[in-house]
Amino acid sequence: MKSIAEFQQLIKESEQIHIGGARSESLENIDMSAYSGIVEYHPEELVITLKAGTSIAEIEKILKKNNQALTFYTDNPEQTIGALYASSGADFADAILGVQIINGKGQLMNFGGQVMKNVAGYDVSRLLVGSKGRLALITQMSFKILPTAAALNHQKKPKPQQNTSALHASLTQKLKQIFDPYGVFV
Amino acid sequence: MSVSSQLSHALPKGSVIYGSENTRAFECDGLSVYKQKPMAVALPKSVEQVKAVLKICRRTKTPVVTRGAGTGLSGGATPLEGCVVLGLSKMTQILSIDVEKQLAVVEPGVRNLAISEAVAEHGLYYAPDPSSQIACTIGGNVAENSGGVHCLKYGLTVHNVEAIKMLTMDGEELILSRSDEGLGLLALMNGSEGLLGVITEITVKLTRKPALAKLVMAGFDTVRECANAVADIIKAGIVPAGLEMMDKFAIEASEAFAHAGYPLDAEALLLCELDGEVESVEAELEAALKILAGASTIKVSENEAERLLLWKGRKSAFPAVGRLAPDYYCMDGTIPKRHLAGVLEKINELSEHYQLRVANVFHAGDGNLHPLILYNAGKPGEIDKAEAFGMDILKHCVAVGGSITGEHGVGIEKLDAMCVQYSAAEIEVFHQIKAVFDPQSLLNPGKAVPELHRCAELGNMHVHHGELPHPELDRF
Repeated sequence: MKSIAEFQQLIKESEQIHIGGARSESLENIDMSAYSGIVEYHPEELVITLKAGTSIAEIEKILKKNNQALTFYTDNPEQTIGALYASSGADFADAILGVQIINGKGQLMNFGGQVMKNVAGYDVSRLLVGSKGRLALITQMSFKILPTAAALNHQKKPKPQQNTSALHASLTQKLKQIFDPYGVFV
Repeated sequence: MSVSSQLSHALPKGSVIYGSENTRAFECDGLSVYKQKPMAVALPKSVEQVKAVLKICRRTKTPVVTRGAGTGLSGGATPLEGCVVLGLSKMTQILSIDVEKQLAVVEPGVRNLAISEAVAEHGLYYAPDPSSQIACTIGGNVAENSGGVHCLKYGLTVHNVEAIKMLTMDGEELILSRSDEGLGLLALMNGSEGLLGVITEITVKLTRKPALAKLVMAGFDTVRECANAVADIIKAGIVPAGLEMMDKFAIEASEAFAHAGYPLDAEALLLCELDGEVESVEAELEAALKILAGASTIKVSENEAERLLLWKGRKSAFPAVGRLAPDYYCMDGTIPKRHLAGVLEKINELSEHYQLRVANVFHAGDGNLHPLILYNAGKPGEIDKAEAFGMDILKHCVAVGGSITGEHGVGIEKLDAMCVQYSAAEIEVFHQIKAVFDPQSLLNPGKAVPELHRCAELGNMHVHHGELPHPELDRF
């Protein structure tokens, strides 16, 4: 699958769907690895916009040509940027500037943008980092990059901790309802 | 019992202000065109007292407008009719400083600069530096996700907050930390403009002071050359601590005010600050000077006093421009840097069209523009003209791929402009997020996110690929 319209169609038609590698034969699956490539990259902006299936290795190759690098820790070059987005925490979110998503109703939406500073509307592009494919399908994202010399000092961070408060859990559940009211993403 | 009396009973003497004359000091924030007196102002000193205020407002369904120092520029702290202003300016304790971990735990009413002053003896400071840093509070900074002139290298408020404690309108406490697993709720709270909760404690990151900071000032004969220099510096792999640009009118106004030694014959001025270890600063300086060889004037700060004087001109640009006209309207659009010169040309065309002068100061490094539109509110119709001019600038920012606000927030000022940047479905998501945190809509209601019918009536609805997002909505 390679187009937004196809993803939208599939989400609208599916009762339940899993994003990422196939989990079981009975469950509809979206594999994003074919939806890859650079959408926009101007080195002087220190911003890159990518389709979610782009692998870390592919991104690093292109950045290297311009003496630039990612600002967050990665240890798996085969991983897609979308998978990293879905499983990361605040240190990855620091770099995020904007995101394009398809919600559980199949609607295409954009939050944030391609600029370093943007405080218009709630910060949904950072909110959805760590959403594990359970709120929306991430199709495209923009993030900040840096010259190689300035980006070198990021290291593996301690694993994120579960926030144990009941209020946190209830807010998380209600936020899922906004993006995926029919519970399509499992 | 009236809400004011209930508040007076619940809080210590002198903590509640009401009555038309007494509340006047709170009738506006930094966006002083809009004024509204609140029903009452509550100034709690502790989290328990904040809870008491929220409880009374919840029971009486009274809207709450949380306020720090009131320096915001978009009307985030402008009172609403019949509201209680929840002023946190008395919560000024720095609770702890951890030098080793480079963290400080502070109450929301602590001033931005006071944090840096308190940790200066350890060689540390709090990096985000909005121009109002002498007065603005850290709670307000988190609510607005404030920026400043050093964001390119050191980030916005969201990048410098480690954790917060907040209260929901229900009075429940929530602790959010950067180390939390799952959704980015802490990032969501940054820039939420007082609509989702009341922030009662903030753990901020502290940054080690650089060994050396040098400021390069370069004057250019054309704006385009100056804009090109910005791109070339970044492309060369330099990340300046600050990269600021001013146009001729802004240079003249600032020089007359601050006497910083800015070149009056230049069409555009670039301020490029390099900081870090001595060796790296020197290497970057050499590279930067090569890139800036085409400048008509060039000066490098020789010492701290000179560096601060060169900054003083830029940092006092707003008051300096303020002396040239009875009123000015400060815009806050952001754009991809490669469009700098083109957008400036567009702003100058609009200035001709509206017959209003404009001075331009930019955080060029991160594409954040602050055009200052000069006008006279005493002249009939001139406010409307200035606002129409501003709206045209913001529409142009969005058209080239930017945003309507980089660091000042939406507040009440940019509600209409929100309809240009976001589709109806996206705006609906914002409303739903608000409802998750504050189902009764008592926290700063009506700010930051426009009602959809407002967008439809304005005809400003975001149009994607020529299709209106909600064709079923009536357009007026």
